[in-house]
Amino acid sequence: MASLYLDSNKYEDGEGAPILEAYHSATKALVRKKLLESKQSWANFVFSSSYDLINTAEILQIDQQVLESGYRFTSSAMISAFERPDAYKPIPGAEKNSDEFSFEHSGAITTVQIGGREQRGQGDNVVKYKANTTGVAKYFRSIQDVANALENGVPADTIAIIDDSGGTLTAPILEQFKGVICAGGTVRSHLGILTREYGIPCLMNSKVNGIRNGDRIEIEVSAPAKTTEAYQSGQEMSVRVWRLIA
Amino acid sequence: MTRTNLDYSKILITNNLMRNAGEETYYLGITRTVQESKFFPVSAYVMLGYLNAFYRYPTLLRKIEKHMPPEEIANRIRNATSKVHSMGINWCMVNFYLLGREMLINMGVIRPHDASEDLVYVLDFWRRFQLASRREDGHITCKEGGHRSQYLPERRVQVYHADLHACEEGDALHSAADKFLAALSQYVVLVACESRVCMTNHGPYNLGGNRELLVRDFFDLAEGDMPWLDGLATDVPHARLTVTTAVKNTSFYIVDDWGSFESKPDYKAENLCGVGLYTSDELSETQIPVGMGSKEELTETLERYTQIFKDTTAKLWKRFAAYKREQLMDAGALTYFNIIKDFAHIAGCYEADDWNKIDVRADRFRPLLNDEYGNQVLGALFVPLSCPSHQVTPYTMMQHSNLPKRTYSPLSAALLDEDDVAPTVGDQLYPGITYLPEKVDRYRTTQGVMGLAELNQRTRDFLPALCSDRFKNLDDTWVKYHYDTPLADELYKVEQQYSRKLKGKGASLSRDDVNALADI
Repeated sequence: MASLYLDSNKYEDGEGAPILEAYHSATKALVRKKLLESKQSWANFVFSSSYDLINTAEILQIDQQVLESGYRFTSSAMISAFERPDAYKPIPGAEKNSDEFSFEHSGAITTVQIGGREQRGQGDNVVKYKANTTGVAKYFRSIQDVANALENGVPADTIAIIDDSGGTLTAPILEQFKGVICAGGTVRSHLGILTREYGIPCLMNSKVNGIRNGDRIEIEVSAPAKTTEAYQSGQEMSVRVWRLIA
Repeated sequence: MTRTNLDYSKILITNNLMRNAGEETYYLGITRTVQESKFFPVSAYVMLGYLNAFYRYPTLLRKIEKHMPPEEIANRIRNATSKVHSMGINWCMVNFYLLGREMLINMGVIRPHDASEDLVYVLDFWRRFQLASRREDGHITCKEGGHRSQYLPERRVQVYHADLHACEEGDALHSAADKFLAALSQYVVLVACESRVCMTNHGPYNLGGNRELLVRDFFDLAEGDMPWLDGLATDVPHARLTVTTAVKNTSFYIVDDWGSFESKPDYKAENLCGVGLYTSDELSETQIPVGMGSKEELTETLERYTQIFKDTTAKLWKRFAAYKREQLMDAGALTYFNIIKDFAHIAGCYEADDWNKIDVRADRFRPLLNDEYGNQVLGALFVPLSCPSHQVTPYTMMQHSNLPKRTYSPLSAALLDEDDVAPTVGDQLYPGITYLPEKVDRYRTTQGVMGLAELNQRTRDFLPALCSDRFKNLDDTWVKYHYDTPLADELYKVEQQYSRKLKGKGASLSRDDVNALADI
């Protein structure tokens, strides 16, 4: 077996995540095999014959070997799992009717009802406003959710609950939200930046529990915004999310 | 047997550039958020873009330099808005190339000293451009300048300053500017496939009176280089826009190489006290005011454009929502990879296939680029630095982390003694592929809509007066000691030709003089 330059590494301590270990071990094994078969020096191999020998079909086999072991990938983009359901783990909650869905984040802080409201979680405030924002909860978790709203409009008073901190999924309807609770990201995420530009109250990195479509909720955006320094130092600055009890 | 044409000095300079780039990448990685999206497979496309950069940048940059050296490119575009004045060059160019290289090293596909002449060339091209482009402050990056991005000459800052229209919270212009910036920012994040590479901020510039000027640039807005805007962004009237914003009682203490800012106190729209709007490109002499004739005209313009950007956002969202994953991969990867494409535009040698295709040498790794691997490898290369190539002697304490790690593999000086090296990925581009529709030959410019052949020809034929031999070396250092000469007046008057307040005023104005003339 041919050896690679990286095979001798005084300070190597592994690749990290299992998928990196699996893929990089496999690509290195492929390179060793093809280098040996080529009977060329590395200098003649690396930017010439290797282009043909290490090809898409060979790389595809690595992907297939991982899947044949029973491993399933975690998706980020919904389309990835949608197009290759055999290769990706199902997206939690995606099969449910959105009216029956609720985030059940284990880190959500909840309290019993006090004065007509109960805390159902917390998040990082993007901008401090003069008063808290109240509205009606509605989940937007998929392209279909957004397409429906684009077609039919966003109901007045909607506080969107989103698990995507990006700025593209909800791009055509973002301006219509009264508020946003996002389960990911930080106040510097695209969604945080865009809600700041629009002047829409927003909590990022939120943990919430038991809120469903149609619940009336309140977000504590009158509290201070989370600062960069707080993120760097790990300082707790979360603000509260309440469900309002009629 | 092949020996490298490098010398010891080139290796050391390259290692220094890589070390600085790596440490700033780590800093940005821990202080800025990661990109996430349920719409785009972001990390996966990012890695595909990095691989494409590794295999294509050296050849494309050599092609560009045959038409125009980087120092001249910097001169030619000094007075216009371009992606070469953005995070695209401040950070992306070298780091995209280096991150692609580091990924391949850890896959065992290349050794650290393979493509060494490419590596030295790419970083040298970047260094030369940055030094020329940022000659007024002399820093090669925002990081080196203490996280400031002040590259404009005084003559341009004075025009921006003087022509600002005053606004305050509650008035029509303030409201229109707020909504415009929100709609435009939303649009460009979508155009750029969930990235910030089509917008940047630079400055701050001190206007006095506890006010700072932050300049906000937006790129690739109309039909042009991005195939997904073909036949869709037809109503967008400008391909590039610059929004000048004066902000009171706010100190922008960080403007970083990603074009992001931090301020004390936090930026609030209510502190916006002045605004302006411009467009420009390779075919314009300098910045052209847009709707700047009066406060009312600017308000109406911003409101009209806001609606255009909202409508186009909805159309583009629907187009992307109908794309297959590999089309979204290509769109994102090409948005990243072609971040340096404006070099080719400025040099008049832009070819669509150079910039809108994934090279087969990069594309062969596409089957690995599922969402999970994309997230893990991108993460590993940025902050945990957990791959084998990142580890160094445990005596080392890396900047920002104190850990025995480094972001990029340096070149060993022992390379000079090797007899059998592979110095370049190749001197020709390999074929490229894309799952996107072929690019339509339609480019919106400041001089109208035209095909690429005409655009390249007109760019080659056009020499902005400020880039002529008469003016091109007249920087602020020269002006400081010659402001009272006819030549300095002539220089400033070229810049002032479209200015509402400064036209014909010349070079002798102080900042106080400009404040006295300005509306804010």
